[in-house]
Amino acid sequence: MSEELRVSPIETRGVAGKRRFAMVVDTRRCIGCMACQVACKAEYDTPLGVNRTWVPYKVVGKYPNVKKQFLPRLCNHCDDAPCVRNCPVEATFKVEDGGFILQRYERCIGCRSCMAACPYNARFMLPSHRTYTPITNVVDKCTFCFHRVTQNLVPACVQTCIGRSRVFGDINDPNSEVSYLVAKNATQVLRPEEGTKPHVFYIGADRNATEFGRDAYRQPEVMELERSAFKRNFKI
Amino acid sequence: MGDYVWFHDVSWHASYAVYFFVIGILAGLSFMSYGSWITPALRPLREKAAYGSLGLLALGGLLLIADLSQPLRFLNILNPAYLNFTSPLAWGALNILAFGVASVMYIMALQKGDEARGRLLALVTALLALGLPVYTGFDLTVHQSRPVWNSPIIPVLFVAMAIASGSAVGSLLAMGNEEAQKVLRQYMLWSAGAVAVMLVSVMGTTNYGGSASELTFMIMTTGTMGLLFVGVGFLAGSVAPAVLLFAPMGKSQGVLMISAVLILVGGAALRYVLLMAPQQLQTLF
Repeated sequence: MSEELRVSPIETRGVAGKRRFAMVVDTRRCIGCMACQVACKAEYDTPLGVNRTWVPYKVVGKYPNVKKQFLPRLCNHCDDAPCVRNCPVEATFKVEDGGFILQRYERCIGCRSCMAACPYNARFMLPSHRTYTPITNVVDKCTFCFHRVTQNLVPACVQTCIGRSRVFGDINDPNSEVSYLVAKNATQVLRPEEGTKPHVFYIGADRNATEFGRDAYRQPEVMELERSAFKRNFKI
Repeated sequence: MGDYVWFHDVSWHASYAVYFFVIGILAGLSFMSYGSWITPALRPLREKAAYGSLGLLALGGLLLIADLSQPLRFLNILNPAYLNFTSPLAWGALNILAFGVASVMYIMALQKGDEARGRLLALVTALLALGLPVYTGFDLTVHQSRPVWNSPIIPVLFVAMAIASGSAVGSLLAMGNEEAQKVLRQYMLWSAGAVAVMLVSVMGTTNYGGSASELTFMIMTTGTMGLLFVGVGFLAGSVAPAVLLFAPMGKSQGVLMISAVLILVGGAALRYVLLMAPQQLQTLF
């Protein structure tokens, strides 16, 4: 689908006079240090077991030619976000200047419709008990560090990325670094077929890295066993 | 591990499937109550179905509210300042509310013995009841990234399942009444048949879809999910009752009761798998 094609009035990519923030993740530069994940956790006190950003990996190739392939993940701040459409009480909304998809915690009823709508699994339910904040039992997600960006800072994960794998900026500004990277490199977005027009662009993430993993072919019972083993120490 | 696996939870759990089941039965009962004004044979069901429908609405409403992680904020969904009409949940909330009001008015008319008003309110209640399986179907259909859900047949399938479940409960309520059973047999036979045909269509399009659809098909047809979907939902809950009711012995009271129970058990299993299987795959992305 053409980047310039706009089919929904909510879309702000390429609209004159409006900023549209985007992130470019150069997977060739990601070393899997997980510093982005830690920085995000520290910034938001994200509870155990859930993440606003996470870095899954895949071991590709066959011995002796193997490597770990990382694919940093976060909310894609879609231009035509299904979560915004599906929230019955407009708790999820899009900031027109900047394109941030944000959450009104005080309005969220916890129906989890937005979680069901998100093709990227970027949303999660906050647990009922938290140490430092009263925000509990509502859906949460990455905000592209709205509070930092409006103070002219980059998101915490971008700030801390040691390999400069993550680059953040206004893609509507032709002079921004993200515009340059998207224009000069072959980029990929996750699940483009869903028509969400995501605004996290990947450099160097090929088809094998972005499709459903081979683990999906396992029996549901086996997956459930692994899931419970994984979550044994994360009672939230 | 090591294969991009990051365990996300499913968003809607089994309580939502129970809600779907309850809402299907109550919509079906509402159709039966309206049907009693058109088909005299169903007259004994009129009050029973109306009361049952309202009782199940109370149960379904409580289930829905209890399933929210912020149950006390359920009023937000009825706040005109907050309502987002691009969400089927918003339409659904208004539909449930309107159905509840119409049901109470209908029961009041029945108690007063006001025939003209009762007939009109039965029609209004049945039309609003039609919206309940339709909205729950759309609730799934709008999620474009989910195989099975994102299909225009789902709301139609939910309506057929509502007719099947409602007539099955109606058949159990009208036990011993031969005239009513004759009509309910027809309802159960054709709605169970329609459900079976639509399930074949759903399985076919899912199996011939892309990688996500293919994987969802695998989840739905193997292991525990396969037993529930193919075994309990499709074979025992749709094909078997349709065959039993179509056969010459299908008019006997025993076969009718067995078919009604099979339809109800199958309907519950189908709703569970249709809700959970597409979510199970998504947790792996």
